[in-house]
Amino acid sequence: MKRLSFRYKLDLKWDQAVWDHHFLIRCIPAENGCQHREALDVRIEPADTIDVVRDGFGNKGYAGAVRRPHDRLFLEAKGSVQVDRSGETEPFHPMYRFPSAYTMPDEKIRQFLREIRQDLQVVAGNSGQDLQAGAVAGEPCGGLMDQKKLEYMMDRLYGRFAYVPGVTTVKTTAAEAFLLEQGVCQDYAHVFISLCRLAGVPARYAAGMMLGEGASHAWAEVWLSDRWLGMDPTNNRLVDETYIKLTHGRDFADASIDRGRFLGFAVQSQEISVKVEEIL
Amino acid sequence: MRDMVEHMEGINRLMARYGVKFGIYKNREFHEQLFPFDPLPRVISAEEFVYLEKGLTQRVDALNCFLADIYGEKKIVKDGVIPEDFIFSSKGYLPQCEGMMPPKRIFSHISGIDLVQAKDKSWYILEDNLRIPSGASYPMIARELTRQASPRTFMRNHVTDNRDYAGMLKEVMAHVNTGGINVVLTPGRYNAAFFEHSYLAERSGAILAMPQDLYVEGNRLYYRQYQGKQLRVGTVYRRISDEYLDPLCFEPESLIGVPGIMDVYRSGNVALVNAPGNGVADDKGIYYFVPHMVKYYLGQEAVLKNAPTYLAFYEQDRRYILEHLESLVVKDVSEAGGYGVVFGSDLTKEKLEELAQIIIRDPRRFIAQEVIDFIDLDIVEGDGSVPRKADLRAFVLSGKTTRVWASGLTRFSRNPDSFVVNSSQGGGFKDTWVLSQ
Repeated sequence: MKRLSFRYKLDLKWDQAVWDHHFLIRCIPAENGCQHREALDVRIEPADTIDVVRDGFGNKGYAGAVRRPHDRLFLEAKGSVQVDRSGETEPFHPMYRFPSAYTMPDEKIRQFLREIRQDLQVVAGNSGQDLQAGAVAGEPCGGLMDQKKLEYMMDRLYGRFAYVPGVTTVKTTAAEAFLLEQGVCQDYAHVFISLCRLAGVPARYAAGMMLGEGASHAWAEVWLSDRWLGMDPTNNRLVDETYIKLTHGRDFADASIDRGRFLGFAVQSQEISVKVEEIL
Repeated sequence: MRDMVEHMEGINRLMARYGVKFGIYKNREFHEQLFPFDPLPRVISAEEFVYLEKGLTQRVDALNCFLADIYGEKKIVKDGVIPEDFIFSSKGYLPQCEGMMPPKRIFSHISGIDLVQAKDKSWYILEDNLRIPSGASYPMIARELTRQASPRTFMRNHVTDNRDYAGMLKEVMAHVNTGGINVVLTPGRYNAAFFEHSYLAERSGAILAMPQDLYVEGNRLYYRQYQGKQLRVGTVYRRISDEYLDPLCFEPESLIGVPGIMDVYRSGNVALVNAPGNGVADDKGIYYFVPHMVKYYLGQEAVLKNAPTYLAFYEQDRRYILEHLESLVVKDVSEAGGYGVVFGSDLTKEKLEELAQIIIRDPRRFIAQEVIDFIDLDIVEGDGSVPRKADLRAFVLSGKTTRVWASGLTRFSRNPDSFVVNSSQGGGFKDTWVLSQ
């Protein structure tokens, strides 16, 4: 068990005033058997109304509105959580078996899974049975791959893909990113989720924060017949007690931390800064 | 009937004046088209209507049970009646609606069930429309105008009055209302069914609201009156599709939605008519399972039959489809409005082969049905009449009880060789008479 303190800062600025602005910022750490919120303090400026809301995936956040003209929206959430990976995770949901808009596999991703399957056979002297069923039919099959094989798959993706900011956008799909073989954490997560589901392993997208200072982070969670296991393909490691989850969903579209809509002809710039420290 | 034919031109002229139109987007341009009215009504006997009423009520009740189950306990999946694949990978399934229970547990308040009658007079369900079925306004206004033009016709024939639709709608909205006014939410005049939105609002005594007239505050929904006064809204009969309803919950770039409305709905502080997420139950793939639902939830045999349907997902069905492709009608489950429907008999050998390959590659996407040789109805053409294919959209309203409107929208294909009757594909419509004795 670890105790972590965090600070999530979102600073939105516009070059001209915008108005009738509605936002949803899901920055309240998830509460489950692995993660417990100890304290939370939030400041949002400006805001005419703020409500705490919970969505269909179980994510929590702040929904608010600023009707009058403004050229900046600032949010700071500070708090602390206890993280214990031996705890119970959320229950399974079948929607995570199927491809979603961002994670639809294309022929190149299918081919990559076939390669991994073959190599897995050579490396481990394994029949590769679990991977095979899903990959051949190209359909999720509910087959269960063990953690070691998933780690091998993550390692292969890590070797194939390069972390390059700026080449992809928030709209880039798994197939598009995989073609580039480049991207950021969102793209790593999408491609990995696409591979998992293709192989018959239910997987979902998680967004949150990890130890250190920087931006928010995204990873995958895979269902291992009785629990969700966090896997971080960007860093080729398992999610441990230095990660704080904020949201999850089928892909980025479901789990984006902040979203909003405003009126006006302004250009927006966004700055997100995250700091997580261990409380010793 | 002769009086009706005599008045045809006058009635069509009046309809044009009242703006009885629908809009179509084609090649990124918006066009308004008149919806041609044919004066010869479809006539349904009192006895036949009792039968239809029984079957339709049962079907819609089962569909409502299904929706409550899917966004709740999911028993029908756990009991293996319907495979997960047809639910959780369906475009119509909205995980954002998980765990939501709408006021009075009603998901589909207004259901548009499309039927056809075969040559042997038996009725078949073609599809269920549980999202925003449109079309009730057309027979409403047609009846009103024909009654004015030819009152004698209605004195001589025992036709059930269909002018109670607005009253039924009002009752449904009142039944689920969480406190406040009723509004009909329209995306605006460039919507295909804008005439209907304004007509139904006027007739049911609801306020016709544009998205910018509604706003959320303190977990309540309000309507902003032009004098600046705010009125709480208890029911929204929304004519905006799910994905555009709330940019904070669904499609983030939607400009026609009401930000935050889904949170208010989740808290039980407003009723949305129909409930979001209903698309999971009117998916063309789910259609196959509706008779199973009737049995599962109600413990009854389905009164109304489905058209014989094959699911490419099941291997045995897939084999049958591939062997009989030239005689079947193949439907893409993700399309609506008469799009994505292919008759095997219209295809060349190469095209058939191409279709077979697409089905093999993506079996979940397709269903195939036997082509039902449905009854022709006469329509007026020149001085005489010609037979054309026609279907019937029945409107089933679920409020305190589930009721079938004693009328409906009969659509016909103007093309003599076509079975596709959708208004977006250029068809026309007739009034539907239900005889009272």
